Amino acid sequence: MNIAERTGRRRLAVGWEAGDRRQVWPWPRLTLAVLAVAACAVPFLLNPYRVFQLTMVLVYGVALLGLNLVVGQSGQISLGHGAFLALGAYVPAVATGPLGLPHPVALPLSALLAFGLGLALGLPALRLRGVYLAVVTLAIAVVVPPVIKRFGAVTGGSMGLSVSAPSAPSWSGLADDQWLYLLVLAVAAVAFAAVRNLLGSRAGRALAAIRENPEAAEVLGVRIAAHRTLVFAWSAMYAGVAGTLYAWVVGFVSPDSFTVTLSIVLLAAAVVGGPDSPAGPLLGAIFMTFVPAAAQGAGDAVPGLVSGLVIILVVCAAPAGLAGLLRMAAGAVARRLGRE
Amino acid sequence: MSAVRRRSAAFPDGGPQGGNDPSAGGGPAGPPFLRVSGLRAGYGPARVLNGIELVVGEGEMVAVLGPNGAGKTTLLRALSGMVRGRGSVRLRGTEILGKAPEEVARLGVTHVPEGRGTFAPLTVEENLRIGAHLRRRSHVAEDMRRVLAYFPLLQAHLRQPAGSLSGGEQQMLAVGRALMAQPRLLLLDEPSRGLAPVTTRRLFDVLRAVNLHDGVTVIVVEQNAQLALEFASRALVMETGRLALAGEAGRLGPGRRVASAYLGPRR
Repeated sequence: MNIAERTGRRRLAVGWEAGDRRQVWPWPRLTLAVLAVAACAVPFLLNPYRVFQLTMVLVYGVALLGLNLVVGQSGQISLGHGAFLALGAYVPAVATGPLGLPHPVALPLSALLAFGLGLALGLPALRLRGVYLAVVTLAIAVVVPPVIKRFGAVTGGSMGLSVSAPSAPSWSGLADDQWLYLLVLAVAAVAFAAVRNLLGSRAGRALAAIRENPEAAEVLGVRIAAHRTLVFAWSAMYAGVAGTLYAWVVGFVSPDSFTVTLSIVLLAAAVVGGPDSPAGPLLGAIFMTFVPAAAQGAGDAVPGLVSGLVIILVVCAAPAGLAGLLRMAAGAVARRLGRE
Repeated sequence: MSAVRRRSAAFPDGGPQGGNDPSAGGGPAGPPFLRVSGLRAGYGPARVLNGIELVVGEGEMVAVLGPNGAGKTTLLRALSGMVRGRGSVRLRGTEILGKAPEEVARLGVTHVPEGRGTFAPLTVEENLRIGAHLRRRSHVAEDMRRVLAYFPLLQAHLRQPAGSLSGGEQQMLAVGRALMAQPRLLLLDEPSRGLAPVTTRRLFDVLRAVNLHDGVTVIVVEQNAQLALEFASRALVMETGRLALAGEAGRLGPGRRVASAYLGPRR
């Protein structure tokens, strides 16, 4: 019975570094701390337009965090996250405008509503697999703008609604855009921490198991439909929160902001960033914000063209996304340093 | 091996089902541990199982032999709910046929499917923890120690992705992962496939230990008839969707002629 005695000790088949890709970069905490300090310093160092852009990066980052749960963790495709973004964006527009509710209510309210909608849609939709889920979610994304226009009395129709953002309290001495940036940063940080926590938990492992081998997960007692539905609802909740932040930052919502294109761009950004990486959402959001803006100067059709080319390049050259490239680079640097 | 500690204490909470029910011990009064009657199953129009009749007592280790295409894998898949079937499969009197696999797993049936099905990018430790999905968190550390005692090889690889292990190690991981669930009934589909003879023997040593020490009922589909007859207490021979021959391994075994004559020309 004593196998250890019979077989003796064995050398590791694969080295630590090569084996566990999560240990490639030796200073994750330090890097995170530096990033955090830099992120906090941003509004005091850059001009308002740059601050606005970086705020949008964080907003899209939150949405992509959620989308990555579906794409990267659950291994499915959603083309409907623009709809949840729209829901989250119209909550502050309606609740703090016509209804006169205070600003702090908007965020939890839209989180709750988006979670509920995600659950309601996820229950039937996630029984469908793969491409069918993509089609169903696409239908949702298609339906949302006309629905918003149809109920013009509440939503302002195709004219849209202006949204008032929470303004900086007087004690802080900050400008409104700085305050908003820090607010969005705080929400993004909490969202990021919550996702990390989820992925390290029992539910996170179950999700990974479902993604890798649903049959094997099932016979170990993992309830596939329940996990998939719940993660879809979580993902929708992130999109809803991002929608509220979006409305605050942009100050205006209209049906044209939430077309099918937005859903598709979000999915593309998730893939370009790296769907199963912690850095993926941030990189995807940077791609989403800066690539079109940078190409804008060259002409009207150029942003779409450039974005499309970048997507094709990344998918061909780096299937794990920009985050995958970053990981490879980090590994190379760490090895170089380790040899010295 | 002879000083078998009958550790019923190995399952302080009786496994996932809470099986300290005295009537469930397979005694004459209670229903048998596993009773399969009239089980028919297949894939679409193709009928694979044509009325299986089988009773397995608690703590037995049963080997299922038979030529390719006899329906051995389908039998296991039907027992664990991965294939729908007709007839009746009762676990301690509870009908489990028609339940989803995850519900069957919740009743203490764990299936190690053909081809292992380890979660390749996840580490060995994560794989084992997923095995303990249904266990309470406070038990997991103890379960992990127990499983690693059975498979000390895995200890050195805990933080490596499962995909980097060798075939034999992955098979051990698959069995270890199943043991993390503290099953009452363990279904194994050709655990020896692709393994070196010495590795296979080691694996069967563990299976026998699990069976004897922990009282886990084991049903193992095995192509290697000699090995199966050596380790199992009883062997069944399947042919075209039926149980063609059943008997104590000792009775089938002596010459092993029965089995080899039976299986030889067909393999």
